[in-house]
Amino acid sequence: MSAKMSRPLSIVLATVMLMGLVACGGGATPTQAPPPAQPTTAPAQPTTAPAQPTAAPTAAPTQPKEQRVLKLWHYESLNGAMGAAWAEAIKDFEASHPGVKVAYEGKGFEQIRQTAAMILNSDDAPDIMEYNKGNATAGLLSSQGLLADLTAEATKRGWDKILSPSLQATCRYNEKGIMGSGKWYGVTNYGEYVLVYYNKDMFEKYKVNVPTTLEEFEAVMDTFVKAGVMPLTLGAKEYPSQHIFYDLALSKADRAFINAYELEGKANFKGPEFTFAADKMVEWLKKGYYSKDSTGLGAEEMGVAFIQGKYPIMISGSWWYGRLVTEIKGFKWGMFLFPGAKYGAGSGGNIWVVPTKSKNKDLAADFIDITLNKKIQTLLGNKGGIPINADLTQVTDPQINELIKNFDALVKNDGLAFYPDWPVPGYYDVLVSNIQELIGGKAPTAVLDQLQKAYDEGIAK
Amino acid sequence: MTSASRIIHQVGKYLSLIVLTALLLIMLAPFFIVTLNAFKTPDEYANKGPISMPQGLYWGGIEQFWKRVDFTTKLLNSALISISVAILGVGLSLFNAFALGIGKVKGRILLLIFFVVANTLPHEALAYPLYYFARLVKLYDTQLAVILIFSVIQSAYGTYLLSSAFSTFNKELLEAAMIDGCSKIRLLLNIVVPISMPTLSVLFVFFFIWTWNEFFLPLVMLISNSKQTVPLAIAVLQGQHLMDATQSAASALLGILPCIIFFILFQRTLTRGITAGSIK
Amino acid sequence: MAHKSASLNKGYAPFLIPGVIAFLLVIILPFLVNIGASFTKWTGIGTPKWIGLANYVKLIGDVNFWASFRNNLAMIIAMTIIPTIIGLLLSAILFDYIANKFGRGMSNFFRAGFYLPQILPVAIAGVVWGWILQPGSGALNELLKSVGLDSLARNWLGDASTALPSVMGVMVWFQIGYPLVIFMAALQRVDPELLEAAAIDGATWLQKFYYITIQLIRPEIFVVVLTTTIHALKVFGQIYVLTRGGPGTATLVPSYYSYQNFFEKANVGYGSTIATVMTIIIILLTIVFINVQSRQQVAEGF
Repeated sequence: MSAKMSRPLSIVLATVMLMGLVACGGGATPTQAPPPAQPTTAPAQPTTAPAQPTAAPTAAPTQPKEQRVLKLWHYESLNGAMGAAWAEAIKDFEASHPGVKVAYEGKGFEQIRQTAAMILNSDDAPDIMEYNKGNATAGLLSSQGLLADLTAEATKRGWDKILSPSLQATCRYNEKGIMGSGKWYGVTNYGEYVLVYYNKDMFEKYKVNVPTTLEEFEAVMDTFVKAGVMPLTLGAKEYPSQHIFYDLALSKADRAFINAYELEGKANFKGPEFTFAADKMVEWLKKGYYSKDSTGLGAEEMGVAFIQGKYPIMISGSWWYGRLVTEIKGFKWGMFLFPGAKYGAGSGGNIWVVPTKSKNKDLAADFIDITLNKKIQTLLGNKGGIPINADLTQVTDPQINELIKNFDALVKNDGLAFYPDWPVPGYYDVLVSNIQELIGGKAPTAVLDQLQKAYDEGIAK
Repeated sequence: MTSASRIIHQVGKYLSLIVLTALLLIMLAPFFIVTLNAFKTPDEYANKGPISMPQGLYWGGIEQFWKRVDFTTKLLNSALISISVAILGVGLSLFNAFALGIGKVKGRILLLIFFVVANTLPHEALAYPLYYFARLVKLYDTQLAVILIFSVIQSAYGTYLLSSAFSTFNKELLEAAMIDGCSKIRLLLNIVVPISMPTLSVLFVFFFIWTWNEFFLPLVMLISNSKQTVPLAIAVLQGQHLMDATQSAASALLGILPCIIFFILFQRTLTRGITAGSIK
Repeated sequence: MAHKSASLNKGYAPFLIPGVIAFLLVIILPFLVNIGASFTKWTGIGTPKWIGLANYVKLIGDVNFWASFRNNLAMIIAMTIIPTIIGLLLSAILFDYIANKFGRGMSNFFRAGFYLPQILPVAIAGVVWGWILQPGSGALNELLKSVGLDSLARNWLGDASTALPSVMGVMVWFQIGYPLVIFMAALQRVDPELLEAAAIDGATWLQKFYYITIQLIRPEIFVVVLTTTIHALKVFGQIYVLTRGGPGTATLVPSYYSYQNFFEKANVGYGSTIATVMTIIIILLTIVFINVQSRQQVAEGF
């Protein structure tokens, strides 16, 4: 009996020994390997103003010039616009900083989202990291002292001139961690917004034009319904429904409303804006514009349905652009801004943050600078992203140009209204589940009450 | 047996087989779907949906995923952690259960409850305290921390199962050995372990598979990419707004293959069962 | 006699030392920290603020928590009661019937197949079940349509009335393999001569099953029931990937609720409160259960 038992056991023991050898031998990761010592004549700093980290509570000595490593993390796909642009930026950085190696690690969004505070509070924090913008994320971390103050860098290097005020809103946070004003704790280098994608072939077939007002938009959708085609693909199990809800509210709103909701903690769900939004969503459901079943569909299913040509209209974010370009094969498609509204969901993109514990804050600032320069920004645009400082004459694809121009229009009109789940941590789930209930038949007033309650609870902290 | 009842018996035999196979197909349907999508191009998936057949075997998704997350490293990390936990967990369970199930030390019920309780704390409640402790002893972002934590957690279950099984251990055998002047260690290693090897194997397999699929505490404890495990690598595909469905399916296939191989290797030991006592 | 059993029982204590120390460090200390945190208001980083019993008072009046608790009871049905019963029946069928008629290899094959769901990572299982349960063109609804049962097609996960049953169904699928493997192993212990003797005496299959088989593998049944119940009270991953607790609170469970507080709302104090309360409930359950189990064992002379 023992002879038979020992066969699997011996396999296991052999494997363990092999593991041990590999683990001990392969421990040194290539990213930690210091570059060969540089002769002292090699200049390590770019010619811009000396980068002194400001407000660094720990005056940690920087690594010796010969072997500095910039630990850089982000979670964008390397196939996407940002990933490609930043990869180029890394190359440019290493070229202009001999003696410095960039240790890049591609992270998962979930890990950063759930454990950012823990990581930044430890010695394993990177030197520069992509992070989510907003009070609940960057705001929270900045108020906990985990992010370095980049204000001096921003003014010295002119970031405050490159980024328009509405883009700066997500980069600056006050002592309470509220965005909009205060010190620079992050720097964004691209934009994002919610828009309407439409199937040009289907619009032609049913003889409808791109609408310019909300009434025209509803008339377009009515035409589709009458022809037996459900116009709007929606994924109400995830974020798409709250973006539409917010955009509808914004169509009746002004800047004061947005500031109250996003910055001041004074949302009024009983007011005309949100009441309009809730009633409209129910009205659209009753008119057959979208399906009640959408509560069981995620964003992925929504997008796939549009790509398959099953629905003529999809209201979602600019992050879909790259994928639609690659995967839509059967029809022509286009984009337009949410009709008739001055304000729309959108903001500066995710921000670069520099952890307080970083020992290479100067290098981090250099890198941020590179991602903001014309070359990298234009590349970002050409890859299908939304740059904020590109040479648009160099962006060749007309459809990408349209995407960027729509964003620029929003920015110029001070139309960026951020996103509805930002004011309160954990509000994303609240919005998803309450809008599911709204679509499921719960009375709008009851849903708005719940939203108000959860909002107030979250603000009172 | 009359020929009629023989026919009924034959029919009954094959009918039960058909029913069981149908049940099995339902159980395994999700796996078919994962496999289908692992070999699709993103185009095929987007244009024909997740339940369609792929047009050919597209290995690109698997290749891309492997390179993107350096899957070889992740496999080795997962294997190292899972096997270590399996060994340590079984060892710890053995020691505990030996004292509780065979030794029947004083207060064994309380102690048993003490150990089972270890399985009752939800992992998210453990996250912050363990994070602070790990940082304190400089084990944050190490596989060792994960191994130690899960050895303890898994051995909670192991202690319970093993001591339940030991409670029916053949007393005469133990007494005979004691009379012969056997030390406790010899008792454990030369008598108890060989007889309970089947149960120990069950624990070994369970611990390996459970640890392999652990996501949350490794997410909290393992920061550097070079230390991370397979489930964390798979999670990388879930982006903020978009997910890569075909690569997720590909990664899922890659992720479960080692477990399946492990399970099949140990299948035979499982058939011996949780026998306790009675050496014929 | 008394002297013999006394010497049998001495000297085992040292074997407990590594286990107890490890458990103290990894589990008990964090649990104490958790209890401490439940009396504070804390975001996880920085200094906590003492607020006494305020969190517990809030918990008692928290509608969401009680909804999640009710859903937990549904989880117990789906993860303990149903899988244990199915596991018992299936293991007996595979072990007795199939193994005898078609050989051990066949029964092993089925066992491996039924156990496979336990190996699939929860995140992937969630995505795949999402595809199957999708309204419109999901696999389940397509299947119903193809056999003419169109009217039964539903928005399984998105409709509050079907969300919980759908999640329960997925949990049963996930859980069956575990009791099956344990019970099939335990059945090795059943002396076939005992069953033959009973058959000769005229016992039906069901009678043999109930009066002999189940009695003999009682320790394993206890283990399975307790561990699956604990697992049901702690279930988190599947909820997270299938419905995130929605729609509304239709599928919210305490574990997910406390996770939301810990990691999404940065409400570590309140999250700790929920976790502490659930843990205490589980501990009480465990104490009762193990006491019953050990009394059973004593009664049977072990």
